[in-house]
Amino acid sequence: MGLMKWDRTGPLDSLTHIQKEMIDLLDILSSTPQMEGYASMEFPPIIVSANEEHVFVRAELPGIQIADLDIQVVDDVLTIKGERKLVTVTAKATYLRRERNYGTFARSIMLPEKVDIERVSASYKNGVLLVKLPKAAEAKPKQVMIQKA
Amino acid sequence: METKEHPTVGKKKITPDKCVVTGKGEWYFPLSDIYETPDNFTILIDMPGVGNENISIDLRGSELVINGEVSQEAYTDEKVVYNEYNIGHYHRHFVISDAINRDKIEAKISDGVLSLVLPKAEHVKPRKIEVRTE
Repeated sequence: MGLMKWDRTGPLDSLTHIQKEMIDLLDILSSTPQMEGYASMEFPPIIVSANEEHVFVRAELPGIQIADLDIQVVDDVLTIKGERKLVTVTAKATYLRRERNYGTFARSIMLPEKVDIERVSASYKNGVLLVKLPKAAEAKPKQVMIQKA
Repeated sequence: METKEHPTVGKKKITPDKCVVTGKGEWYFPLSDIYETPDNFTILIDMPGVGNENISIDLRGSELVINGEVSQEAYTDEKVVYNEYNIGHYHRHFVISDAINRDKIEAKISDGVLSLVLPKAEHVKPRKIEVRTE
């Protein structure tokens, strides 16, 4: 590094320069990678919903064998594990386009309420998994009787 | 130019925040794989939630139009707590060339995956040319 031009600036100007650098740095660090669609997404995508009696977890899992799915509930954590297998095509096949993802996946979600583990059921239809979790008795709203003294 | 056959299609997006599942008539772009074998082209399209009864595949001229509709009725008495995907219909179209035998296109849907088999026309299939000896 050789000579630098001496700027006749006030002593506080360098502070604003540092501030600008810091802002730029924070911008770089905080920006999320600009990935499109599924690549940045947790697989499978889920929707959790609830009514008075049950908690429902739906997951979009097209093209999966039921035998390759493993669903567990421990306390109030639901774990969906599985593998999406590549359809075995003949060796002579050439892929022209590939957008769908394959491989193993696992994800755990915290359920919004306590559930009755014994009575959890799951179904798979048209590529959508539906886990039906009955709410535990203590999580359901209970009417309190008021007694007149 | 929006018609029933070619609705406006958006990319299915991740919803970062809680959002209510409504929006009848949203259309999304499903993901697909295409591969070629000596006899066919095969297209696999992920359409979770679409059954046999609500899919339509039309061939108009050289355009193969695929529409899949998803029933959104399940949520009538449920409150959505957390949501990562939008529920909507699927639309995709492909332009196919003369290399495909249009009369023999086959489609089947199972577990939310549509598979379309497009057989190649006879004139493009690889064939062996025999050498005659005189």
